[in-house]
Order: sequence, then C-alpha cells, then structure tokens
Amino acid sequence: MPRSIPSKRPPNPGTPGRGLLSRERETSLYNRLLARDEQALIELVDLATPWLLGVAYGMLSDRDEAEEVVQEAFNIVWRRVDLYDGAEGGLMAWILRIARNRAIDRLRRQKRQIGKIERYRTFGEAGEGWTRPVEPNEAAMPGWHVHEAVHQALRGLSEEQAAVVQLAYFEGLTHSEIAARLGIPLGTVKTRLRLAFEKLRLSLASIKDWVV
Amino acid sequence: MSAHDWFVEHRTSFVVRSLEAEEESTFRTHLEGCEDCREAIHQIEQELAWLPLGTTPVTPRPELQRRLVESALGIRPRRSFAPLLAAAASLVLAVGAWAWATSRVRSAEKTAERARVSLSHQLEMARDTLEIMRTADRVRHASIRMGEQEGGMVIFADDRTHMWNVVVYGLPAPEPGKMCQFWFITETGMVRGVEVKTGEGTPAFLTLPMPPSGGPVMGAALTIESMGSSSAQPEGKELAHLML
Repeated sequence: MPRSIPSKRPPNPGTPGRGLLSRERETSLYNRLLARDEQALIELVDLATPWLLGVAYGMLSDRDEAEEVVQEAFNIVWRRVDLYDGAEGGLMAWILRIARNRAIDRLRRQKRQIGKIERYRTFGEAGEGWTRPVEPNEAAMPGWHVHEAVHQALRGLSEEQAAVVQLAYFEGLTHSEIAARLGIPLGTVKTRLRLAFEKLRLSLASIKDWVV
Repeated sequence: MSAHDWFVEHRTSFVVRSLEAEEESTFRTHLEGCEDCREAIHQIEQELAWLPLGTTPVTPRPELQRRLVESALGIRPRRSFAPLLAAAASLVLAVGAWAWATSRVRSAEKTAERARVSLSHQLEMARDTLEIMRTADRVRHASIRMGEQEGGMVIFADDRTHMWNVVVYGLPAPEPGKMCQFWFITETGMVRGVEVKTGEGTPAFLTLPMPPSGGPVMGAALTIESMGSSSAQPEGKELAHLML
C-alpha cells in the first residue's frame, strides 16, 4: 500500500506543471524510493544532481569534493528515505538540505575557510559567487523558475545584506568568519544577517509550496 | 535580555548554520527542551526551503550520475576494462610491432647475408674465371654456324688448376625438345658434361672441372641432343669439336 507523504503543505493548485516535480510525481517518487525502486533513484539523480552540485561547489570550490558531497547525499536519500517526513518543502528541498549540511560539515571539518578567504582576497568582493554567468541552457532546467524566484528575493536585499547572505548561506561561513572576511564587527554581521533573512523569509514564503 | 532571547535571536542563524560550532551545539541542546524554538525552526526551514536553489546549477561531468546511482545502490564501481584492454592491445601491438620489426630485420639480415654470400661466391667465381682466363695455358676457339647465325665456342684451359672456362656465344636456342650439350673428349671416349643454355642473347659462361672418369681430357665437343636424353655418347648433331 503506497504511503502518502505526511506533508504539511497544502495542495498547490495555483502552480500546476510549473516545475519538475508535481505533487503526484513527488509522491510517486517517494513511494518508489521506499519500495526500493532503483529507477526512482535514477530519476531523482537526473533531476537533482545539477542543483546539489551547485550547492556543494559553491561552498567547497572543489569539483571532486562537491561530487563526493552529492554522492553522500544520495546515499542517505536511498538508504534513509524513511526519515523524510514530508515537511520543509518536500522531497527535493529535503535532499538539498542534506547536501548543504554535508557540504558545510565537510567545509568546517577540513577548515577550508582559510583557503576560501585567500581565494576571496584574490578574486574580489563578496557577492560575486551567485552572480556567476549562467549557462545558456539553464532556463530549460527543471527548477529554474524557483531559481529565478530566489534571485528575485535576493535582489530585494541591500548590497551589504546580500554580501553577508552570500557568505553565510551559499559559502557556508560562520559569523566570525564573515566578520573577518568583510572586516566588520561581529555584531554588524549578525544584524545584517538577521535583517536580510527576515526579508528573505517574507519574500520566499510565497514560493515555499512550489514544486520544482 | 533573557537567555532564551539569545536563542530567539539566533534561530535563523541556526537554520542556515552560520553559528559557531559551540553555539550550534548549545542551540541543538536547547532545542531538545524547547518546543517553541523547535516549531520556529521548523517554520524557518519551510520558508527558506528553496533558498539553496539560489545557487547556480553545475552540469555534472559525464558518468557522474551513473556513479551516484551505483554508490547509493552499493554497487561497486564497474571496473572499466577499457583502459586495461587498451593497454593490453597497445602491448600486443608493441610486441607485435617489435616482433615484426625484429623479423623484418632478421629477414633483411638473412637476405643481406645471402646476398653477401652470393656476391662473394660470384666474386670468387668471377675472380677464378678471370684468373683462369688470365693464366690459361691453352685457348681454343671453334666457329659454329646454325642457320643464319654464326657463333662459336672458346675454351680457356688452366693446367695448374685443371679448370676450364668455356664461353659459348652467338648461338640460337635449339629447336623445341632439343638441347645443347657439352662433352669432354677423353682418352677413353666422350664424357657427358653440362647443358649449355643458348639463345638468351648473352654468351654462356661455364667454369668446369675435369671429369672424374675417362682419363686425361683431350678436347671438347658441343652437340644438339634430345631433351632428357641421358645417353653416355652423343647421338645428335655435332656443332663443334675442339682438340687441345
């Protein structure tokens, strides 16, 4: 008997077909993963890998390590899909969070911040990372509309706020590391981050039930 | 500011993991006993669920997705035998090429050696021939007429080496089924010598030792014999008869 995802998300009739994973498809994937359907894993890997790689690479700046993080994430998904409770944005968001946490764990374990700070000093100011040029075919990529919505929300931040969000969220630095990187007081970092994330939470609340 | 206020203030930082390691650990411990913070954290996680998609996607390298699936399924990476096969093929080709080259070299060496031996032999023969001609004790010549053509036979007899050089020139090829036969004239009779190839446009040179039987050689004759004849005596037309 297939399990339904115990999601707190309401049905999302307003955005049918906008993303890759319709609610039906997500439920189907989840049940097939639970049933150890290898084809479901293959589909998920095809769907999520570019995004997971992007998350991990943004923090680790090393393609091999980013691939290892993504591999760890899929290992967890396949072996412990039963841990997924349908909350926090759905299956795809759960996997993204796993990959991001693994990347941060690796980043901090290996104390790569030093190298990243050096790279930062070499290549430029904060905020450059998420303004990287995109590949021309990315607009056709599943989830791209969410990517655009997130960037719309990020553009609503001030330059200073965007910089601390970039470093904290997309590069995985801690408060003190951000303070050192930007040469500003720790309290300022915390304030900017708090204000920035308050804005983002408001902006992103409207898309939290989107499907990718 | 109460102790709990700090946790309230840092809920988002906990979610996005920008707290220091000790702070994160403290917050995690706090969450175990704080229902309000757990619910707030859950809410923030939901709201920021898609923030990771603010990243720029990275196109996977070829084979990555296969490796990811195999890893998750616990399948040991398929060992690619292609490099091994390629290396083996390269080795076979290299060995083959080496063997081929070696065989070619050896073959060339053998050919060269044979050529060297042949040349040496020919040189030795030429030297002997010249030596015989140069030091010949007796030289005899006989003219031969065959139809419209006129040729001859010359004998250079070297008594020191008991070798003859015989040159037959200007003769046409025999009729079909016939051959030109050289004979030694000895004290006891005719002794069959060798077939002489005529009609090839160039003189036939023969270097002949004296026959082992028949006694002292007194002269030579040239006859036309039937092809395949092994008669001990001439049976065909005599072309030349020379006495030394």
